[in-house]
Amino acid sequence: MKLELGIIKISDIQFAAESKVEGSTLYVNKDELKALIMEDETFASCELDIARPGESVRITPVKDVIEPRVKVSGEGGVFPGWMAKVKTVGSGRTNVLKGCAVVTTGKIVGFQEGIIDMCGEGAKYTPFSQLNNLVLCVEPVEGTLQHAYEKAVRIAGLKAATYLGKLAKDIEAEEVRTYETPSITEGIKLYPGLPRVGYVLMLQSQGLLHDTYVYGVDAKQSLTTMLYPTETMDGAIISGNCVSACDKNTTYHHLNNPVIEDLYARHGKDLNFVGVIITNENVYLADKERSSDWSAKLCEFLGLDGAIISQEGFGNPDTDLIMNCKKIEAKGVKTVIITDEYAGQDGASQSLADADVAANACVTGGNANTVIHLPKMDKVIGHIEYVDKIAGGWSGSLQEDGSIIAELQVITGATNEMGFNTFSAR
Amino acid sequence: MIILTNNPDVQNMLTDRSVCFVEGSYRDVLVRARDMVHQGHRLLTHPLMGSLKPNETPYRSVGLSEEKGSLDFDSLQLIENAIETFDKFAAVTRPDRGSNTPERMLADFRLIDASLLKTALESAEQPPDFRR
Repeated sequence: MKLELGIIKISDIQFAAESKVEGSTLYVNKDELKALIMEDETFASCELDIARPGESVRITPVKDVIEPRVKVSGEGGVFPGWMAKVKTVGSGRTNVLKGCAVVTTGKIVGFQEGIIDMCGEGAKYTPFSQLNNLVLCVEPVEGTLQHAYEKAVRIAGLKAATYLGKLAKDIEAEEVRTYETPSITEGIKLYPGLPRVGYVLMLQSQGLLHDTYVYGVDAKQSLTTMLYPTETMDGAIISGNCVSACDKNTTYHHLNNPVIEDLYARHGKDLNFVGVIITNENVYLADKERSSDWSAKLCEFLGLDGAIISQEGFGNPDTDLIMNCKKIEAKGVKTVIITDEYAGQDGASQSLADADVAANACVTGGNANTVIHLPKMDKVIGHIEYVDKIAGGWSGSLQEDGSIIAELQVITGATNEMGFNTFSAR
Repeated sequence: MIILTNNPDVQNMLTDRSVCFVEGSYRDVLVRARDMVHQGHRLLTHPLMGSLKPNETPYRSVGLSEEKGSLDFDSLQLIENAIETFDKFAAVTRPDRGSNTPERMLADFRLIDASLLKTALESAEQPPDFRR
């Protein structure tokens, strides 16, 4: 399967009378997009705002971040199962509005979380401070239940990103990136001497506000299965996860998975990137047994020499991570795990809730308990009163001068467990 | 499945026969679960389910097997790790939690715990009867 990504660079977003992409500016007709979002009767109101890199703006509480993309050629459409039919995606050409994103915000639950600062100390910890963000603030009609509100906000974000993506359908991209995965047998013939490496992508699937969807299917109801890596680039996987801002995989992360990007960069050179195995992180222990058995079975079945395993979340998923690692290693396949740490504010405590000697190669996204001080911002988009209540904040986190003292876990994407972050010891 | 919980919503959601209500904290539920593991019950749900940290939510529900056998070491390791993790988080106190937590947040914490447990029960081979 072969996919070309047409990269259309966006360096600014402006509200205008007509929605269009001109040069590197994305113009948005606010009323038109608002009307589209408000078609959903769940919403009482919808506000759109723009946050640019370097501006004194804080966005909170962040639900999801989504990159606008559009299918130019090839089967299916971006976000299959949601914004397009369930046809298999990942081939042909897709245009990407690179440098911008849709950010959704809404107070779904009382402890809703996630901060994106567009400048200052906090901006260093989130990759989304580097993007031009169109922020969608949607409020529900009274009496809307949390799960219905979550679903509505999730779909509103996808709708907005699809609306923006379509503006770039007919643009001829100057930069085109090509990604190709051969069939198993072709791969063996093409790269006979190279180690066969797979990617085990663990998806958050514990339940309400902790969900991920694949082609519209709730991941907790799926057996461990396989994707061509390029399917993820067309939005085959979307996030419905609202909990644990620092280490949740937003839809943006799934579209731009750095493990897939890096494995492709070395594909055919010093390794053979065979494919992506997706598995879940359910709370029922028998599900964990079954899913991790299947991860290991598929690694064996594909004849892998090595596997990279990334997780999403904290606590319960640590157990899935270690089960996957142990069982895959037991099949004679070498593994590297990617996680983050809750090692206490001093970094001295045990980092994970589970461990095993088989997990002897580990990449960490950083310690989520690290204490940071975020300066006051001139403008807040969303609801700042939630800062005292979000994960990693505490009573008094919000200082009188408007600054915030909190743990790193308040920042969206700070310790991302795909490695898509800026926190590093390098 | 036996459900240990300190979450009143779970007690209301399920028929009484499967619920063992714990008058106490999140940690008290974990300790009771450990006692039951030592008595030969097996854990059926992850004791740290959900991404809410142990120093955020006061509610916890854990599913264990009704039948007893010899000590299940996997269950024991899971519950011991969970208690250790709980204590690590408890070291960072959250003054807006406990008795100072606003009711709307408490209601949301109860909802999340009950929903995640319900997901687990739906995964179980013989889900118990739901009252609603």
